[in-house]
Amino acid sequence: MAGSRLSIAAPVLLLLAACGSDPGAAPTSPPCDAACQDSVALRAVREMTKLAYNLLLQGNPVGPQSANSPCPLGGNVSIVGEASSNADQGATVVSLVYDFDGCAHLEVDDEPGETYQMTLTGVLTQDGTLAAQPSATTALVMGSDSMTMNGTVYDPPLAYGEEGCALELGQNGNDLSGLMCGREVGVDLSGPN
Amino acid sequence: MRRRARRLALAFASATSLPVESLAERAIARAEPSDAARPPAETVTKPKLRGTADVPYPEGARGDARVVLTLEVRADGTVRSATADEPNEPFSSHASAAALDFVFEPATRGGRPVAAKIRLELRFIEPAAPEPQPETAEGVTTPAAAPGTAALPAGTPAAKAAAHQPIEVVVTGVRPELSRTASLTRAEVREIPGTFGDPFRAVEALPGVTPIVSGLPFFFVRGAPPGNVGYFLDGVRVPLLFHVGAGPSVVNPALIDRVDFYPAGYPARFGRVSGGVVAGETLPPAAEFHGEYNVRVFDVGAMVEAPFADGRATAMLGGRYSYTGYLLTALSQTTLLDYWDYQGRVSYELGPRDRVELFSFGSYDYVGERTPTETITLFGTEFHRLDLRYDHRFAQRGKLRTAFTLGLDRSRVQQQDRHVRMRTAGARNEFEYRLSDSALFRAGTDLSLETYDIELGTTDLPPSTARVAESFPSRTDTALGLRGDVVLRVTPRFEVTPGARIDLYGSDGVTALAIDPRVSWRAQASEKWAVLGVFGVAHQPPAFVVPLPGFQPGGIPGGLQRALQGSLGIELALGKNMTATATAFQNAFFSMSDPLGAVPPLPMGCPPGTYPGNSIGGDLGEQPDEAAPCGERFPPGTLGPDRSGGGGQGADSRGNRRTAEAFEVRTMGSGRGIELYFKRRLTERLGGFVSYTFSRSTRSYERRSYPAAFDRTHVANAALAYDLGRGFRAGVRGMFYTGVPKAPDATDPSTRLPAFFRLDVRFEKRFQLGKKSHLSLVAEWLNATLSKEAVTTTCTLSGCEAEMIGPVTIPSVGVEGAF
Repeated sequence: MAGSRLSIAAPVLLLLAACGSDPGAAPTSPPCDAACQDSVALRAVREMTKLAYNLLLQGNPVGPQSANSPCPLGGNVSIVGEASSNADQGATVVSLVYDFDGCAHLEVDDEPGETYQMTLTGVLTQDGTLAAQPSATTALVMGSDSMTMNGTVYDPPLAYGEEGCALELGQNGNDLSGLMCGREVGVDLSGPN
Repeated sequence: MRRRARRLALAFASATSLPVESLAERAIARAEPSDAARPPAETVTKPKLRGTADVPYPEGARGDARVVLTLEVRADGTVRSATADEPNEPFSSHASAAALDFVFEPATRGGRPVAAKIRLELRFIEPAAPEPQPETAEGVTTPAAAPGTAALPAGTPAAKAAAHQPIEVVVTGVRPELSRTASLTRAEVREIPGTFGDPFRAVEALPGVTPIVSGLPFFFVRGAPPGNVGYFLDGVRVPLLFHVGAGPSVVNPALIDRVDFYPAGYPARFGRVSGGVVAGETLPPAAEFHGEYNVRVFDVGAMVEAPFADGRATAMLGGRYSYTGYLLTALSQTTLLDYWDYQGRVSYELGPRDRVELFSFGSYDYVGERTPTETITLFGTEFHRLDLRYDHRFAQRGKLRTAFTLGLDRSRVQQQDRHVRMRTAGARNEFEYRLSDSALFRAGTDLSLETYDIELGTTDLPPSTARVAESFPSRTDTALGLRGDVVLRVTPRFEVTPGARIDLYGSDGVTALAIDPRVSWRAQASEKWAVLGVFGVAHQPPAFVVPLPGFQPGGIPGGLQRALQGSLGIELALGKNMTATATAFQNAFFSMSDPLGAVPPLPMGCPPGTYPGNSIGGDLGEQPDEAAPCGERFPPGTLGPDRSGGGGQGADSRGNRRTAEAFEVRTMGSGRGIELYFKRRLTERLGGFVSYTFSRSTRSYERRSYPAAFDRTHVANAALAYDLGRGFRAGVRGMFYTGVPKAPDATDPSTRLPAFFRLDVRFEKRFQLGKKSHLSLVAEWLNATLSKEAVTTTCTLSGCEAEMIGPVTIPSVGVEGAF
C-alpha cells in the first residue's frame, strides 16, 4: 500500500530530488582493476543463481526440485535437487544443481560496481541455507568444476571472459568469498533487497 | 379626464439613452471582461434587437416604473422566457408578456448563433409634460418612439439613475447540465493561484475532490478512486489530462473554452466511468486571426488560429514544449524529464448548417535515469487522437454530430522493452433535437475498438508482480454504447432530465452488459434559490491505479465495477455575481477495483515489539519498505524466496505481494458527505471562492470495513483575486485537508497522519498593447509556504513516525500574451 502511494508520488519526488541534487560534476571513478573485475563477476554468478532460484523455485512445495527456464537475455537455466524450508525461521535449506547454458543477464544498478552483463555456461552446485527473511542468515557453499563467464563488467565498461573456470565459494550472511579460477575473490552483497 | 400620452423607454444597460446597440455592447464588455484568457477565438456578438421595442403603457397604470427583465434569447433570436427580477404590477407582467414578442439578431460565438441571456431594463414613464428631444451627452439619439409612446428622455432623473444599474448580457451557447457542480472558464481559472492558468488543474479545488498528494493531479471524487475518474475532451475519451508529476494539462489552455466537472449522475453521453467526469470543451473555430503564447520557467506554449477560404475555413495549431530536460541536465546528470503536447484543428463550413472538422491532439511524457550503461525509462507515456467530425444543424431545432476517432496510447515502464500499446478506432453519433419549447431530446451511439499490444517481460519479474502483469494481455477490446435523455421543463420552475445508457463490453473473450439509468432535476423555489437532485447508476470495467495510457486490465476480471450515485443540493443566487451551493451526497460502490484503497494502511517497517527481525539476521542490508519480519512469512511447506544479499533478482517481497493482492481484490465502498461552495466571479474586481467538503469514504473487504486509504474528513480551498488597478492583479489561495488514515501504532494513539496546508500566490502585471493584444508578466507559486506532506508511517526499532515528502513546490515566472 505504502509502496503504491510512493510509486505514484515518485515522479514528483524524482523531480524534487533532481532539483536538489548537486549540480557539480560527478567524481571520477577509479578504474576497475583485475580484482575489482573478478568481484563484479563473482557478484554476477551469485545474483544469477539467485534470479534463477527465484524465478523457478520460490513458492514451490518442499521436496525434490526440477525446473528450467529461459534466461532474460537468452540461453537457459535448469535447477535440480532437493529443498526444504522452515517458515518460522524464514529459511530455506537447499541442495541444488544449477545448469547454465548460455544464460545471459543484464543487471543495471545505480552503483557502477554492481552493474554487469554476463553470460554463464556451466554447472554450479549450491548447498546450505537461503535467507528468506531477516530472521535467518544465509550460509551457502557453492562450487563449479568448470564455469565459462563472458560479458562486460563496470565501471568503466570492461570486457570480461573466463573459460572453464573452477569456483569454490562460500557465503556467510552478506559476505561472499572464495576462489575463482584459482584467484581469491570476495564481495559484500549488502544492499537494498 | 383624457389621459395624456404616456411614454415608455427601453434601455439596455447603463448609459444615458445610448442606442440599443451601444448599450448592449457595453454590457457585454462588462459581462465578458477583457482578459488574457479570452482570446479573440471566443469572440461573441451580442443579441441585437430587430426593430423597436416599444411597449404600450399598461392600461390603468399610473406613475413611472422600472422593470428589470431577464430574457433568454434563443439561437434563432426569439425570446424563450422573460422574467422580472422583482414584482411591480402591473408593469412587470406587462413587460414580461411584451418581451416575449421581441425578436433579436441572435448572439453569436465564433460566428455561430447561440443562445444568450440578457438582463434588460424597461422604464415606463408617465409623462407629465411634452418631452424634449432625447439626446445623450455624446449626441447620440435614441431610437424613435412609436406612436403613442416616446423615447426615454435624456437627462431625466430616471435616465440618470439607469446609468448605475448592473445590466448584463451573458452569451451562454451551451445548456447547463443539472448534474454539473461546476463549470470553469479559463477566464476565471487563470485568476486562481496554483493552477498556472490551467482549467483542468483547477478541478482539484472543487468540492467533492480529494487530492492524493498536494500538487499531484490525481484525485478521488466523492470516494471514487482516480482510476474511476474519466477525462474527456470534446467528447473524446483521453487516458490522462496532465503531464508527468505536477505538470500542466496536456491541452493548451488557450484552446479550452470551459471545463465541466460532474461528480455524479452525469449526462448519459458520458459513460464507461463510475467515478466522476472531467469534461473539457474546446473553443469553436474563430472567424479572425488570433493567438496566444506563454513562456515560463519550465515550458513554452503557443496557439494560433487563422481563417482562410474566404472565412469558411479555419486552421488552428497549438502546443507546448517543456525544456525541463535541459534544466535538469544542468542540475542533475542522472535524471531526464521531458514532456510536450500538440493540438491541431482544421474546420470548414460546407454550408450554413454543415461543418466538417478535423481535430488532432496528443501528449508525450518521459522520466528517465541515466546509468553507466544505459538510460532507464522510469516512466514514459504518450497518446495521440485524431477526431474527424461532421456537424449538421437542423434549422434552429437541433444538431447532429458524426465523428470518427483514431488513437494511439503507449506507456513504457522500467527498462526499454516493457511497454503497453493501445491502438483505438471509434465512431460516435451525437444527436440533439428540440421537440418543443419544453422538451429537448438527446441521443447518441458510440463504438470503440481497442487493440492492445503488451510486452511486460514477465520472465524476470517476481511472481506476484508477474501475476499483475498477466492482467494486461495483448488483445482487442470492444465497447458499444447507446444512450438517450430528455431535458424536460415540466413547469417554468421545474426541470428534469431522465436518461439512460447501455454499454456492451467485450475483452479477451469476456462480455459484459451495463445498463445505467440516470436522472437529474432542478426545482426553482424562488428567484433566489433552487433545489437540485441527481441520481445515477454507472458501470466501468476494472481500472488501473491511476489513469495511464494503455494500462487497462483485460478480460474484465471480477466483472464490471458499479456505482450508485446520488446527491441533493441547494443553489442560492446571492446577487452581485455571487452564488452559493450546499450539496449532500451519497455514493455506493460495488465490485470496486481500487488498489490504492483496497487494504487498510500498514506502516513501513515493523512497529516496536512486533517482530524485531532486523536484529537477528542482518544479511539483508537496508530494507526500504519490505518489512518482511513483521509476522508475515512464506507459507509453511513451500520454498521461500532467496533474499540474501542486495538486489531484487526476482525475489518476491511483502510489498510486491500486497500490491498484487490489492490490485486483484474487489471491494465494496461508499462515499458520503456534504459539500459547500461559495463563489464570486473571479473576474470581478474582487472575486474568489470557498470550497469545503466534509466526507467519509469507506471500503469493505473480507467482512472488514475501514476508511479508504485516501479518506480525508475535511478538504477546504479558498481563493481571492483582486484587481489592484493599472493592470496589476494579485491572488492568493489556501488549501487545507486532513491527513489520511494512519497505520496502527502502539506508540501513537492518533488515527490519522498530520493535516496539510499550503498557500499559493499569483501576481500579474498586464500591458495592453492595442485593442486586441496584450502582454502579461505573471509570477505564480504553488506551495509558497513550502509545506511538507505526510504520506505514510515509517517504523524502526526505535519507534514510528510520519514520513514526510516534499515540499512539492512549483515557483513560476513567465510571460503571457495574446493577439
